[in-house]
Amino acid sequence: MVEMQDTRHKPHGTSLIPGIKTLVLSFGLVFCVLNSTHTCLAKNINFEATVDRNKIGLGQSLQLDLTFDGSQNMPIPELPAIEGFQARYLGPSTRMSIINGQASSSITYVYTLLPTKVGAFKIGPFRLEYNGNTYNSNSIEIEVLAEATQAQNQSSQETLPQAKDLNDRIYLTLQLKKNKVYLNEVVPITIKLYVNKLGVRDIQLPQFNHDGFSIGEFGMPRQYQEVIGGINYEVIEFENMIFGLRPGEFFLGPATIQCNLMVRRQANRQSASSFDDLFNSDVFDNFFGGYQAYPMNLKSANIPVTVLPLPVQDKPESFSGALGVFDFQASVNPQEVKVGDPLTLKAVISGQGNFNTVNLPNLSLGSDFKIYAPQVKQDKDAKTFEEVLIPLNVSLKEIPVMSFSFLNTQTGLYETITRGPFPINILKPDKAEELKITEAKLSTRALTKEEKLGRDIIYIKDSPGELSKKQEYLYKNKVFLGFQAIPLLFYLLITVVYARSRKLANDVKYARQLLAPRKAKAGILRAKGLLEKGNTGEFYDTLFEVLQEYLGNRFHLSSKGITISIIDEQLKSRNIPEEILVKLRSIFSECDMVRYAASQLTRENMQEALKNLEEAIDYLQRNRI
Amino acid sequence: MNNSKLVKLSVFCLVCLLVIFSLSSSFAQGSPAAEGRRLFYQGNSDYKEAKYEAAIDNYSKVLSLGVESGNLYYNLGNSYFKKGELGRAILNYEKALILTPNDSDLKSNYEYVLTLLNLGPQSFGNWPEKAANKLFQDVTVDFLTVLLSLIYILAFIALISSLFFAQAKMMIKVFLMILSVVFIVSFISLNSKVAYLNKGAVVVSKEALVKFEPQEEATIYFKLTEGSKVEVLENTENWFKIKRLDGKIGWIDKSNLGLILDLQK
Repeated sequence: MVEMQDTRHKPHGTSLIPGIKTLVLSFGLVFCVLNSTHTCLAKNINFEATVDRNKIGLGQSLQLDLTFDGSQNMPIPELPAIEGFQARYLGPSTRMSIINGQASSSITYVYTLLPTKVGAFKIGPFRLEYNGNTYNSNSIEIEVLAEATQAQNQSSQETLPQAKDLNDRIYLTLQLKKNKVYLNEVVPITIKLYVNKLGVRDIQLPQFNHDGFSIGEFGMPRQYQEVIGGINYEVIEFENMIFGLRPGEFFLGPATIQCNLMVRRQANRQSASSFDDLFNSDVFDNFFGGYQAYPMNLKSANIPVTVLPLPVQDKPESFSGALGVFDFQASVNPQEVKVGDPLTLKAVISGQGNFNTVNLPNLSLGSDFKIYAPQVKQDKDAKTFEEVLIPLNVSLKEIPVMSFSFLNTQTGLYETITRGPFPINILKPDKAEELKITEAKLSTRALTKEEKLGRDIIYIKDSPGELSKKQEYLYKNKVFLGFQAIPLLFYLLITVVYARSRKLANDVKYARQLLAPRKAKAGILRAKGLLEKGNTGEFYDTLFEVLQEYLGNRFHLSSKGITISIIDEQLKSRNIPEEILVKLRSIFSECDMVRYAASQLTRENMQEALKNLEEAIDYLQRNRI
Repeated sequence: MNNSKLVKLSVFCLVCLLVIFSLSSSFAQGSPAAEGRRLFYQGNSDYKEAKYEAAIDNYSKVLSLGVESGNLYYNLGNSYFKKGELGRAILNYEKALILTPNDSDLKSNYEYVLTLLNLGPQSFGNWPEKAANKLFQDVTVDFLTVLLSLIYILAFIALISSLFFAQAKMMIKVFLMILSVVFIVSFISLNSKVAYLNKGAVVVSKEALVKFEPQEEATIYFKLTEGSKVEVLENTENWFKIKRLDGKIGWIDKSNLGLILDLQK
């Protein structure tokens, strides 16, 4: 019996590791045989649904196996929505066995089912249509109990009831203090995650749709317990502040939170070996946690919100946009100063509201005071302004009233708080100090000239500019790139020509060798002319000159001193064939003969001598001797 | 061949080279797309009437004709800004900066939108690339390409000159050294600009989640805010593998990013 089992869950797109690849190749033939068997037995495929247990508690998970017995070529069945459960696909598991030559194979698609409510449920039958065949599985009945841990939680169950639905055991809420807000009114928003006896990890910061609103940053979440309907919940509370940006009807939310629900892992009891038992034991489960993370995306309901425009009626002149419920206090210190000495006006606006829109109330001081820009300090519940004033006039008796107006967001009415006037006593300065005041006046005037400029984007361009082909850059232009080779080639050409001319100028031996064949060619042409004319004497003189000059240039010797003995000496050492030497000797002897017995040399002798010369030069040139 | 002949030959070849190059450049310019201009002006009219959606539509049509310009991307960026899509505004300003990097209006708008998004200047690369880019921040990719080519030609002219003017060899050596430095710096900058052109991207959604794996259910590694620049390392069907400025690498859903290099050319 040969039995193979592959229970690994392979995600899609994962490549085979080399060992597995070798194994697959080794058994390729067997697979082919089995595949053909599957085709033959397509109609004998059995579709079966099994679960690892029929009774579980809420907060636990169970394993659903959809097995096709008789083929491994079945596709993943599309799981329908199962009432009372959330399903998650884990992967395939294949099994193959050959017993007494009879091959059988199966594929199992494994899912995790997470119950969402208490009760008795029937799952299945599942159905798959493939290749024109319809496969129907059996159905299974499962009972979901309210208790997660059965007996050990018995005592706690007696004191506190438990939620019967997963959606009641973990859920998210989005709460806003009120549904009608004024423009720019700051309202706290609370997102609460309720968890009842479930393990939750990796909780992300909540997100929510806030179109039309500006939001702040979420702070550290608060964690506490809360009993709702007799059920004790762990609550994780996130707080933030929002304010409306434009009037209208909006929806805040839904808020979403991503987290991992820790579900108790079920041991796989299918393994037959004791080795598997060891590693599937509760000991290891407990050691490694025994839980698996089940990603959840929790979603709250959304909230309709109306952003109201600020009322126009009864709007006080001193209103500068403050919204909320505020108190306003102001004081001046010190109350007695000399002209030119500073006094501080302190204004504190405290309460609840959008402090970003709270400004220092206007103070009409005219030109009697030099006023510096206020120092502003903002806390959670108060905003403090400290303004330095320098009296410039002895006759000043008081700082006039200050009025702070705000829209009371609780009543919807404008309110104005008035403080002052603040009595002050201004004394005459010393003479030296008077001078200082004048200097200070000049320098501070320059400061007040600072202009606050508005900021926005600069207007669009009137013309499109040069519309060029899209994404065509010179560095990708093949013609341009091709041109880059030209300077290099040009440089190489110039260098070679330059080097040659330099060598010709400086290396006499090289120059003579280079010019030797050219000069010999000219001489031979001259000799041919003389041959045609039948001028024997001059012909042989020319032939002798050509031979002397060529050999002199070729071997870098004095041309006038070239004799047959020197030629023999030079050429023999260079392994010249005897045939060429004979030709050269013959030319030399004929050239000598013409001086004493010119009449003995016929036209044929001259032609033969010319031919011998050409052949000898040709040989020496070709063989680079 | 004597020296004077060689000098004449050199001058002739260089003149030929310049003539051929100028001819090829004029061919490369291509004809202005009249239809593109018409759509551009139509887009401008829409913008003036505060019909920003229609303006974007018309400007995008110009791009779909296969032509582009810095002003076109600038106006497109302005339109997205007015529509409230600041990420797409940044993306188009980035594209405009590649074509018209010394446009002061463009720089002003770009910096303003960055300020609104609470983002500072974002630049990729190691310190030599950053230094080189600082030197050449106001020049285009094409300008740098031509500069490199000119330096290359000048280097050969200097080398050829050194053959014929032996007495000026020392001066030519110094000149070649200066050219080499300018060449290296220009090359680093060009390389960096081309890399950004091909791999740069901008987050166009309000907030983008970057995950450890290219799967919906994968764990979130970090978040990117609108207008952030990233480098795209890999491109799968629905996901981009990206690198943040601090070197952190993760996977992001394609819908969250706008590429500097338009893949649908």
